[in-house]
Amino acid sequence: MIEVDQLRKSYGDLTAVDGVSFTARPGEIFGLLGPNGAGKSTTIGCISGLLTPTAGHVRVMGHDVVRDGRAARQAIGVVPQEIALYDDLSAVENLHYWGGAQGLRNPRLRERAQEVLESTGLQDRAREPVKRFSGGMKRRLNFACGIIHAPQVLLLDEPTVGVDPQSRVRLLDLVREQAGAGVCVLYTTHYMEEAEALCTRLGIVDHGKLIAAGTLTELRSMMSERDLLRLTGVFDPASVRETLERVSGDGIEVVHAAPDQLTLSLAAAARKLPAIFSALESAGAEVRGTTLTQPSLESLFIKLTGKELRE
Amino acid sequence: MRFIWTSAWKDLTRTRRDPLALLMWIAVPLVLGGLLNAVFGGGNVTPQGRLLIADEDDSFVSNLLASAFSREPLSKMIFVEKVSRELGRARIDRGDGSALLIIPKGLADAVLRNEPFHLELFTNPSQRILPQMIQQVLTVMVEGEFYLQQVAGAQLRVLSQELPENRAPLDQDIARFSVSVNRLIDSLRKYLIPPVIRLDTEVAQENASGRGFAAVLFPASMFMALVLLSSALAADIWKELNGGTLRRLAMTPAPLAAFLAGRLLFVVVVYAVVALVGVSVARWIAGVPVASFPGAVAWLVFSGSAFFVLMLLLLLQASTQRGANILSNLVVFPLAMLGGSFFPFDFMPQWMAGIGAKTPNGLAVVQFNAILDGSVHARDLELTAAALSIAAALAFLLALRKLRRGFAL
Repeated sequence: MIEVDQLRKSYGDLTAVDGVSFTARPGEIFGLLGPNGAGKSTTIGCISGLLTPTAGHVRVMGHDVVRDGRAARQAIGVVPQEIALYDDLSAVENLHYWGGAQGLRNPRLRERAQEVLESTGLQDRAREPVKRFSGGMKRRLNFACGIIHAPQVLLLDEPTVGVDPQSRVRLLDLVREQAGAGVCVLYTTHYMEEAEALCTRLGIVDHGKLIAAGTLTELRSMMSERDLLRLTGVFDPASVRETLERVSGDGIEVVHAAPDQLTLSLAAAARKLPAIFSALESAGAEVRGTTLTQPSLESLFIKLTGKELRE
Repeated sequence: MRFIWTSAWKDLTRTRRDPLALLMWIAVPLVLGGLLNAVFGGGNVTPQGRLLIADEDDSFVSNLLASAFSREPLSKMIFVEKVSRELGRARIDRGDGSALLIIPKGLADAVLRNEPFHLELFTNPSQRILPQMIQQVLTVMVEGEFYLQQVAGAQLRVLSQELPENRAPLDQDIARFSVSVNRLIDSLRKYLIPPVIRLDTEVAQENASGRGFAAVLFPASMFMALVLLSSALAADIWKELNGGTLRRLAMTPAPLAAFLAGRLLFVVVVYAVVALVGVSVARWIAGVPVASFPGAVAWLVFSGSAFFVLMLLLLLQASTQRGANILSNLVVFPLAMLGGSFFPFDFMPQWMAGIGAKTPNGLAVVQFNAILDGSVHARDLELTAAALSIAAALAFLLALRKLRRGFAL
């Protein structure tokens, strides 16, 4: 179990994580979703004991990561964003080294190395130097090194970045297997579809703050089954707002208005497009492009932050 | 504790996978030695030094003694400079000079009267060859004085006893002394002209191949190699950082101190191999005299490991790998050149050798020379070892602190 309570991490004037609180339970995959620089990796760093929080508390399986760091780290397995392996060592040698770092000793170390090599499908290449591996194989070995000691808590920091689709599916299956075995998984990503497919609960972070959290259903309900309509062109934000307020009886909410972009939230947007175009034309706007998004994490993120996740 | 072995094993396995790197590490001192030999022409080396003489007697005997160093071939190697006692002590204390010879007042009288007398010789510990040569020349001259006393002691004593204080000898004194000496020479003529004892000198083949030169260059090339290797091995920490392995390790229960200690253990093994090969080649192929083989190897391993830790701390001060490389080059080459790890101290100007002998590698080179020629003083060795150990231990702790406080982030 991971308990994060009012976590804050600052570097001088820069606050990377600002009052984040959440709890992830055993057998659960808790996703932290947010763009690059949102504070996901810093949060993982604080939970893993790599970084000392400026304020707040983090407990892993009941152990405070600052006061009882060693016990907390023994319960944690980390799969970092970068492929943190020794290229000139073989897969099994890497596993022995990282298992040793987690305190495993033979014969248990040898047994576990064999188990994780099998579960990640690398047993046939176990004796080869890692530098001969493909990117996907390295990612799987990176994952294997994180679970070599059968951790109770698994922290995955964007583990599928740059991975081919086949290896990604394999990795996501491995993550589900861990959760199925009762491991508490914290998974950070900026891939919306990955979060939707994998996570049982989600937290959305932006600028170091947790702006929404809940199950996928709970988060979707925050959109009230409303579509998101994004228009590009030339707009006068004040005039557009005033014009659309006149037709707000139809429940049109202006999420974001800029001279070149307009974002609206509304129910059954497809049926209301002619009326909207007509109103915008009367406000002197020139519409050049239209994107209609049905309720999703993507639309929720845009609604909450006014920008796309990958921006 | 167990992770120290795991960490060292990891580094050894990585090295085993790259045997070319290991061969290069072993070859570095041999290549450097060969290059230095080629650069300096090999075979013959003429070290140059400065003998400071504080002549308080200022007599014909003391001048005779001083002039012994002004004749060839010594004059090509030793520049004689007359100084006062105080100035001479101050200069030799700061390493400016190969040796200081103090001739107290009364030397001439003592020689004439065959009385005991003390000359004082202070040598520069950072130099090896020249101070020994000066000492040898003095020994020969003292022995010469002994034989002079045996042969012409009576004449000398007569002259000194018959001369009252502060009076120049009269013509009849000189005439009597001359006749006496002439008779003495006549009695020795059958031995001296032609000499009954003939000294045949033959230069051994081994010397002609540059044995002395190799002995001078060997310590410099070994320590140059150690400094370069320390820099290269310490730079691996940046590979660990950039590869993310160090950051990953910081998220495990394994202590970073064990990681660093494991790295140090690995370095000890590498230096043991390099030193064994280097000293073996020097001793059995280049003919360098090695008074204590285990002592020489152990000292190289010890001082090389200390350099590694110091270099590690230095490289951790940079904020990027590129910065670390620049910092390394800025420090390694001047330190190597100044500290007798490129040019032997015997080839340097006195003031530079004096400064160089106080650098970490300079301190180690001086003791290594002493271990090689068997002139090591236990106290000097202990003091140097203690200084290097303390510096290395401090550097280890500071490097660990640096790693814990954000380098691994």
